[in-house]
Amino acid sequence: MAKKRVETKKTPPLPPLPPPSTPPQEMPEEEIPGEEAGDGSGEEDGEGSEGGAEEERGESDAGVAEESDSSEDEEEHIGYDIAGKKIRKQAKRDKIDSFLAGVDDSKNWRKIYDEYNDEEIELTKEERRLIGRILKGKTPHADVDPYAPYVDWFEWEEKGMPLSGAPEPKRRFIPSKWEHKKVVKYVRAIRKGLIKFEKQKEKPRFYMLWGDDSSSAENTRHGLSYIPAPKPKLPGHDESYNPSVEYIPTQEEINSYQLMYDEDRPKFIPRRFESLRNVPAYESAIRDAFERSLDLYLCPRTRKKRINIDPESLKPKLPSRKDLKPYPSLCYLEYKGHRGSVKSISVQITGQWIASGSTDGTVRVWDVETGRCLKVWEFGESIQHVAWNPLPDLPLLAVSVGQDVVLLDTGLGNAEEQFRAKELLHVEEDDAGQCDTKPLVRWLRHDKLDAIRLEHSKAVSSVEWHFKGDYFITVAPTILIHRLSKKLTFNPLKKLHGLPVSSVFHPSRRILFIATKKNVRVYDLSMEKPKFMKKLEPSIREISSVAVHPGGDNVIVGSKEGKLCWFDMDLSSKPYKTLRAHPKDITNVAFHRSYPLFASSSDDCTAYVFHGMVYSDLNQNPLIVPLEILRGHASSNGRGILDCKFHPRQPWLFTAGADSVIKLYCH
Amino acid sequence: MPRLSGQQKRKKHYRPSGKKREGNAAKFITRTRAVHYLQLSLPMFRKLCILKGIFPRVPKKKVEGNHKTYYHMKDIMFLAHEPLLDKFRDIKAYDRKIKKAVAKKNKDLAIRLKSRRPNYQLDPLIRQRYPRFIDALRDLDDCLTMVNLFAALPATESTRLDVERIHNCRRLSHEWLAYVARTHSLRKTFISVKGIYYQAEIEGQKITWLTPHALQQVVPDDVDFNVLLTFLEFYETLLAFVNFRLYHSINVEYPPILDPFLEAEAADLFALYRFFSAGSRRTFGNSQIGGSEEQNEVRLLPASEPGALMHLVENASVDDKDDKETKECKSLFKNLKFFLGREVPKDSLLFIIPAFGGTVSWEGDGSPFGETDEGITHQIVDRPSQGHVYLSREYVQPQWIYDCVNARIILPTEAYMVGRVPPPHLSPFVDNEAEGYVPEYAETIKRLQSASRRRVLPVPGTDDGDLDDPQHLLAEGVIDRTQAQEASEKKQELIKLEKQYHDELNMELQGISYSESLLSKKAESSSIGAEEKLEDGLDAEEMAATDATSMSKVVMSRKKRKLYEAMQISKERKRSGVKLLKERKKKAEQSSAP
Repeated sequence: MAKKRVETKKTPPLPPLPPPSTPPQEMPEEEIPGEEAGDGSGEEDGEGSEGGAEEERGESDAGVAEESDSSEDEEEHIGYDIAGKKIRKQAKRDKIDSFLAGVDDSKNWRKIYDEYNDEEIELTKEERRLIGRILKGKTPHADVDPYAPYVDWFEWEEKGMPLSGAPEPKRRFIPSKWEHKKVVKYVRAIRKGLIKFEKQKEKPRFYMLWGDDSSSAENTRHGLSYIPAPKPKLPGHDESYNPSVEYIPTQEEINSYQLMYDEDRPKFIPRRFESLRNVPAYESAIRDAFERSLDLYLCPRTRKKRINIDPESLKPKLPSRKDLKPYPSLCYLEYKGHRGSVKSISVQITGQWIASGSTDGTVRVWDVETGRCLKVWEFGESIQHVAWNPLPDLPLLAVSVGQDVVLLDTGLGNAEEQFRAKELLHVEEDDAGQCDTKPLVRWLRHDKLDAIRLEHSKAVSSVEWHFKGDYFITVAPTILIHRLSKKLTFNPLKKLHGLPVSSVFHPSRRILFIATKKNVRVYDLSMEKPKFMKKLEPSIREISSVAVHPGGDNVIVGSKEGKLCWFDMDLSSKPYKTLRAHPKDITNVAFHRSYPLFASSSDDCTAYVFHGMVYSDLNQNPLIVPLEILRGHASSNGRGILDCKFHPRQPWLFTAGADSVIKLYCH
Repeated sequence: MPRLSGQQKRKKHYRPSGKKREGNAAKFITRTRAVHYLQLSLPMFRKLCILKGIFPRVPKKKVEGNHKTYYHMKDIMFLAHEPLLDKFRDIKAYDRKIKKAVAKKNKDLAIRLKSRRPNYQLDPLIRQRYPRFIDALRDLDDCLTMVNLFAALPATESTRLDVERIHNCRRLSHEWLAYVARTHSLRKTFISVKGIYYQAEIEGQKITWLTPHALQQVVPDDVDFNVLLTFLEFYETLLAFVNFRLYHSINVEYPPILDPFLEAEAADLFALYRFFSAGSRRTFGNSQIGGSEEQNEVRLLPASEPGALMHLVENASVDDKDDKETKECKSLFKNLKFFLGREVPKDSLLFIIPAFGGTVSWEGDGSPFGETDEGITHQIVDRPSQGHVYLSREYVQPQWIYDCVNARIILPTEAYMVGRVPPPHLSPFVDNEAEGYVPEYAETIKRLQSASRRRVLPVPGTDDGDLDDPQHLLAEGVIDRTQAQEASEKKQELIKLEKQYHDELNMELQGISYSESLLSKKAESSSIGAEEKLEDGLDAEEMAATDATSMSKVVMSRKKRKLYEAMQISKERKRSGVKLLKERKKKAEQSSAP
């Protein structure tokens, strides 16, 4: 294999040249190479060869001497072969060997050692002749004619624009002043030590930065708290290169990711590799690092309190329901008979009968304990509201039908009571004629049912009796107060803010509560003119019903968004507590007369029963505990329970449903 | 313009409208305003923020709008007084000089200017940001991940990454790994698709970092490398100082001087181990001359001898201070000798195995012992089949090492043999109990762990050491509980079978034929129907429970209710995740069964 130099740093040494001062004197003038190739005598040859050998030795010595300085860092090899292995130098022959070789071999004088390729070369005759010519200062080749005839290439004719005829300026021959100045400057700088030639020794870059931690603790961050960045999320099982099978999503799931929003889409889809060598480089490694660094310096930081608590501990500690018994919990009776949804019910004060009005145009009176329907009246028009007279010995029933309010004699009770009722209702007959002149309401005789008919100008939505049983109030958008004994009607509030929804009398004092859609207004009726006392602001969307605690100081308000507000009148005009009980409209709210109970009924077919204890101690807030959710009514036309009323003496609740059933829940 | 009359004079402490002195408007400043305030360019502001560790904060009230980032005014003032800010301005001006010289083709000047470009040091910043060493350790996760990532990147023009920088990253990460291996503070390892995660515990701090797989990384072109390089600049300095401190804590010189031969063979880690052993010999020779004779002898063994070297690494660490976990880690691979094939991730295994007390060699130059060594107990290979097999050693896939480390026991090697698909590799960072789903293999490992523990401990009751370690007790308790459960289930089954047998015997005695018994069984099944009805009752109970929650919700305040609902939602999400996993598992079993 031919040795080939791959590359070395060294430049190849020049072929040995004779020192210019010692031209070869022995060499005869005639010995011009090319002339005497054939007839050159052996003697001459011998002489020439000796001279040549001497010369060469001298040259090689000089070469060695020259290179001896640089040979210290010389390698033992001359380069590398094509396979990258070192090519070693041949062993050097010592002087005696080379001398003996020179004596033995007559052609030794022709041999030259080539250092670059590490070999000895025997010069051919032509080469020797070439060298001889060069030594003599002639052209190396004999073919070259140094004295060829001169051809004058320059045109000597006069040109219109000569290149330049100016003589060379003086400044080209004298050294530059400014250069001199600069040199002086540098020299001075060097002398002063401003310019240093050896590089400064670098002191070690790293040192004990945190020597003693105790002293540095006070170094807080300029008065601001340092918020450390959250650590990156630790990988879960699914990020493994070889996760369990259940962590790999199916193709359908992966496809379904495409339909997701960008925020919801999983950033990482688990994959499974059979062995570690199959795992490729993670393609978004740099992007992940970049995003992390963006988060580190761009993301606003704040301290978030992360609570790690049991959700059950959030639930308020309420007294046990068992201790708060009795309360209605089970459906005990159903009163069936209506063919339309039951709009309103009312329980007689003795608790013996209930009356109900329905959209099928009938009013029925039921026996509470047996569930038997005692009486039925047909009105032929949807009943809005029914209300028993609160006097136990006056079994009168006020029914609102369309634009009329009918005061019915139910015909229940003993003969004496019957007589009183008849008398009360009878007197009106005479007044009926006088009523024609009154613009507000006409008191008319209802011949068919033997009752009084109050003809309003607009539809009546509710009728409520005063606790003494003489006055009653109707809401026919305007609020009207009627007096039964005198057959009088008056409009106490000329001006009302908002549309009244319902109105209730205070259970013991002469106070009137009027609920408009937004708030509840309280009027004192003891004066000549009703005096505005208070406004209760439940801050709910639309009030649907209102009820007053028998004590009179607490009011609950049901709203059409399903919220129930409890007001403590002494406390504030804002609700003491807002209970978000129902998802749908609250239709009615009710207090129990004697037990600490209240209830709300809603269109979501449920009724809530609450324990609402009011303490006589003014410092103690009322205790409100939800007790029971009563279910059982079916929904019809999107309406659920339309009315609820408590039994006056027992902890029982009556509910009237849109499914035309009345239910009684007992404890 | 009407003049101000005497009465309309300015108030004593007049403040022009729009200038706030207190409140959120005065305390917080938007980023654009901050940049204008500091008279900086946005890139320089960014760089300064990264180096100083200044981050935006969330004000209570966002005065200037919701979609802006707000910095605290104090932070900005902190930046304004930073000496580095002036330095950056100087550098900017200086760079302009160079640019000018280049533009004017004043080559000499340009070169001279370039050679004397002002430089800046980051150590004051590090001291400022991390006043205590422990603070630095706490923030080391990102630093290590970034340095390891850049150690695996190619040097390219487009990323303005030079080779020196990459080598520096590589060196720093190796120094860190060598320290962790030597102090045996590595705790968990995990091979993920993204790379290999490690978790070490140093001075009580859990430090987790990710090293990418040793492959050609993909360099995206839409990533701003300026940001990354600024971070890297800081992290390099930080890690170097941290390494310095750590090396000094174990009496080793820093920066380490490595054997150039090993360095050339890309066995830096090994070279570092060697340096450690040499260094420890030196320091121990100086400090404790009166050390026990035997130890000295061990240390004075020539470092070129392979086994001795690893022992050096092992023995050198200070034995007395080690806590229990470190001791456990140190002795995991004790007396085991590993040999790595060419195809396995050498850097990672060369780090893990010595960290857990094993001796390791690899195929290639500079390795302490060759493949033919008789003492090798395990050979790590990752190829479809192994040609020449030594009977004295076991051939396992690399995953075995990682699983052993996470389980802290030597797992049986059958499942990890060459050519098999290894069992699933599970993350050690997941708390299976809290997650609600325990993968099958995790249970297997748990069983193996408890088995090995029982084998090691003679009788759990008598050993006093057990009582001292609550963690240990807890683990025992958990295992016992599960086992007790299993046992009770079995017992119940047995009782059931026994009862059935007795019933049948009775029937036979009474002379009831088989058909009748079938009938009676039907009756039983009808009774089961009754049970179903009972289940309806259960529904009622459920209803009652939901009623109870909805009723308690009624009384809750809005804040608490929302919180409660959010908790329920997150719980539900977790549950659905677990359900999905179970479904998938079932499907996989079904598909694999027939």
